[in-house]
Amino acid sequence: MTNCILEVKDVSRAFGGVVALNRVGMSIETGKITAIIGPNGAGKTTLFNLVAGVYPVSSGEIRFRGTPLDNIPVHKRTTIGIARTFQNVLLFENMTVLENAMTGQHARSRYGFFEAALRLPKAHREEETISLKAMKYLNLVGLGMYAQQNALDLPLGQQKLLTIARALATEPQLLMLDEPGAGLNTLEKRDLADLVRRIRDMGITILLVEHDMDLVMGLAEWVIVLDSGQKIAEGTAAEIQRNQRVIAAYLGEEEEVE
Amino acid sequence: MVLRAKDRWPYLFTAGLILIIILIPFHWFLGVKISLFTLVGISTMITLGLCLLMGYTGQVSLGQAAFYGIGAYVSAILSATYDVNPWLAMAIAATITGAFAYFIGYPIFRLRGNYLAMATLGLGIIIWILFKELDQYTGGPDGIGGIPNLSIGGFSFDTSMKRYYLVWFFCLAILLASQNIVGSRVGRALRAIHGGEAAAQATGINTAQFKVKIFVLSAVYASLAGSLYAHVVRQVSPGSFDFLESVVIVTMAVIGGLASIWGAIFGASTILILKNELLVGLGEIETILYGLILVLVMIFMPKGLFVSLKELYEAWRLRYARRGDKP
Repeated sequence: MTNCILEVKDVSRAFGGVVALNRVGMSIETGKITAIIGPNGAGKTTLFNLVAGVYPVSSGEIRFRGTPLDNIPVHKRTTIGIARTFQNVLLFENMTVLENAMTGQHARSRYGFFEAALRLPKAHREEETISLKAMKYLNLVGLGMYAQQNALDLPLGQQKLLTIARALATEPQLLMLDEPGAGLNTLEKRDLADLVRRIRDMGITILLVEHDMDLVMGLAEWVIVLDSGQKIAEGTAAEIQRNQRVIAAYLGEEEEVE
Repeated sequence: MVLRAKDRWPYLFTAGLILIIILIPFHWFLGVKISLFTLVGISTMITLGLCLLMGYTGQVSLGQAAFYGIGAYVSAILSATYDVNPWLAMAIAATITGAFAYFIGYPIFRLRGNYLAMATLGLGIIIWILFKELDQYTGGPDGIGGIPNLSIGGFSFDTSMKRYYLVWFFCLAILLASQNIVGSRVGRALRAIHGGEAAAQATGINTAQFKVKIFVLSAVYASLAGSLYAHVVRQVSPGSFDFLESVVIVTMAVIGGLASIWGAIFGASTILILKNELLVGLGEIETILYGLILVLVMIFMPKGLFVSLKELYEAWRLRYARRGDKP
């Protein structure tokens, strides 16, 4: 398929004897919001880390825009257009809000130690672009007015928005959000859903892992369900809600009594 | 445009500090202590490298004295034994030290935390032993004497005052360069590595490469300091580059505030004044004292003495500002 930004083919990943993912395959359509759901331990975050390159696949292949990803280190994956946020936020605590977002522009700028030390014109020019773009993404997520604050002084909800701004500042084609709704209140979740749709409208494909079913069902255009390391279903939100295997995975199976 | 008090403060501070640095060699000020303050300049250079490496990037090194020593010895051997031009010798020393740091950098930064500290500590000791044992080149425990003065054209840095200004010229140049780096894309990358490597990589930062690069830069700073030391003191011996020296450098960086560029001057002068003026002739107790200072500062002022004092001052100002009158 040509309109798939990410293809996961027959991918397995084992940690020691534990098989976290077992021959999972999926295609993520370009320009859509796709959600991966599943009970705890289903292998959702493992899949994220495999795509992001935190550890290699045990077998199988992941292709991003047709290119196999194996042997491409994490930071290069960011350069070719994969960005992510983390379940546990992971902001740079020793920086301001603006600097966090500016760090996202690292892969899109080039100047190094030499230009920095001597403040050469190249450094000046790039630094201007970096801060402009960082501000643009801060404003997009609604944190523009907090630019000069310390990142850790923000409440959790805004910290999570900042990680999205930082990821956007890498100018990705695929944005992976790891449980963006966790720890947010209802109002914040609604704003988050709006934000994610706006990002999609900018032409960025969204892949998200989420526990909150209301958020997923209202937001995702395609839902993939994992359970115990295997894909058990995929489809639109409505289809998934009716799927017997999915219901069984979440609620436990009905046993027949003889 | 009139700057607000808070914005004006750093400029006043910098100007005042530079004025003091310029005035120190004069007799009516601290002229008698000129060699001490020359040494402060040299130590500040090494400390700055460690601040970038440890304070900003979060990577420990207990072996900076090795790079300091390599710089000093290469300069000494080339200029005293082989009559190479001292400036060329200094450049060669910096290149050798940088290349050495680069090659050991990749394997050594596979380690983290305490293991990294142990590896750099071992490195420092190995290099120190080489200084002592390769006596056909290094003169063994006696070291090398008769190192020529640095000179530009016909102008020779042959008095302590000239040497003092030369050292501080280098020191302030490095300080400025470091400050520029800290506020740049590179500085953000370094701080990101300190903040969390997983997140740093996810923003496209090649963490392994940046760690090695900053290690190389800190080594080159130390090497330049070593070369200057060789030409200022005009005599080098292994005792100046032993493990204790590495510890002293760490103590200077910690006192100044690890993540504070200007703090390096403060840290270096505090320790050297303590060592040379207030605590003379303590022998082994000196080592215990550095340990004690390190522990106390880390417990009570983890941001360093310099930064803590600065924050105290700012808090004091703020209290007056809240009351609505001027201090």
